[in-house]
Amino acid sequence: MSVLPPTLREKRRYILARVEPSGLPLDAKDLYYTLYEAVTSLWGDVVTAAMRPAVISSENGFVILRCRRGTEREFAIALSTVNGCNDCTIAIRVFAISGTIESLRERVKTMDISIASRLPPTDRELFFDGKSVELASRNGQKFDVIEKGFKNAHRLFLTREDLEDS
Amino acid sequence: MKITDACVYPYPAGDSTINRLAFEAREYGYDSIVALDTPAAEIYGVTVLAGMYLAGSTLKEVHERARKASVSGVVVSVQAGDNGFNRTVAGTKSVSLLRGIHKADRHAFDHVTAKIAADNMTAIDLDLSVLVAGRGPLRQKAIRRYRDIVILQHRFEFPITISSSARSVLGLRPVREVAGLCSVIGMDLSDTELALAGISRIMRQADAAVKVIP
Repeated sequence: MSVLPPTLREKRRYILARVEPSGLPLDAKDLYYTLYEAVTSLWGDVVTAAMRPAVISSENGFVILRCRRGTEREFAIALSTVNGCNDCTIAIRVFAISGTIESLRERVKTMDISIASRLPPTDRELFFDGKSVELASRNGQKFDVIEKGFKNAHRLFLTREDLEDS
Repeated sequence: MKITDACVYPYPAGDSTINRLAFEAREYGYDSIVALDTPAAEIYGVTVLAGMYLAGSTLKEVHERARKASVSGVVVSVQAGDNGFNRTVAGTKSVSLLRGIHKADRHAFDHVTAKIAADNMTAIDLDLSVLVAGRGPLRQKAIRRYRDIVILQHRFEFPITISSSARSVLGLRPVREVAGLCSVIGMDLSDTELALAGISRIMRQADAAVKVIP
């Protein structure tokens, strides 16, 4: 089929979202299957086919997603039902919706600055609830830690006040 | 009107501390949260209300525990049961919320219970975690139940509350996403705003010195 001129092509919308918790190594393909399952289970095959969801890029915890114009609201609702990918609990937070990828990439650049301003990991040993914990990520007041040990590898979400002095 | 998440489970029931939940709740647009088995506090500008959830209890236990808890200002929620149980609980003054209605029988909440709930200002809680985490028949059943409740609420105007039942910050949903999820169950924006303010509505009613009877 010949390439359609721009005026005849279907209009699309691009969604900038952040994957939480930060620091998870997520493959774009796995994320696509997760999103596809969420959209299909909520809206069904017909709406999903019309929506044409896709993952454009996934880097530094941000994802750019695509859907057909007019379906972005349904897509955003389906995104809020995503709760896991590859046996990891995740949440997808929508930041912005735009008609061009370029404007979203500009936004990611400004957000990258805020990521760079995150405090570096501390060497100090951290304790929570009387147990030694390992820092997974840190953003201002927010401390994500992992309990040290063989059995407990799940994350705990704390603030600076929750941590005890060593 | 305070925008409230009607149920969260802080550490140790969940993996996030009450400080972190309050911090994230403020970022997501909430003014207050009801935290189970946690003392009331003001954290990062978010009002944390103490909550108690009575699940699988008999009516006698509900009456006893709810009466004791309501004296100390705890938001008491009770798991919905069969129709008779729900009618009695909805008519109990010390009970604030009837939760888990999506798990109950199809006839567990009818127009009579709705009228009793409206008269006693007992709120019906819509747990969004089942819409978020549930898939297939489980979610379909919950959507059906919630749609029925919304229809009854339009008729009888009993309070509705919305809860994330978050055991983690990842389970919390921003107010904008809550509005989107509520649209799936037939609630428009004004319904959602009213439901998010449901806790402050019933708390204000409980604190009122004089009750106006129309």
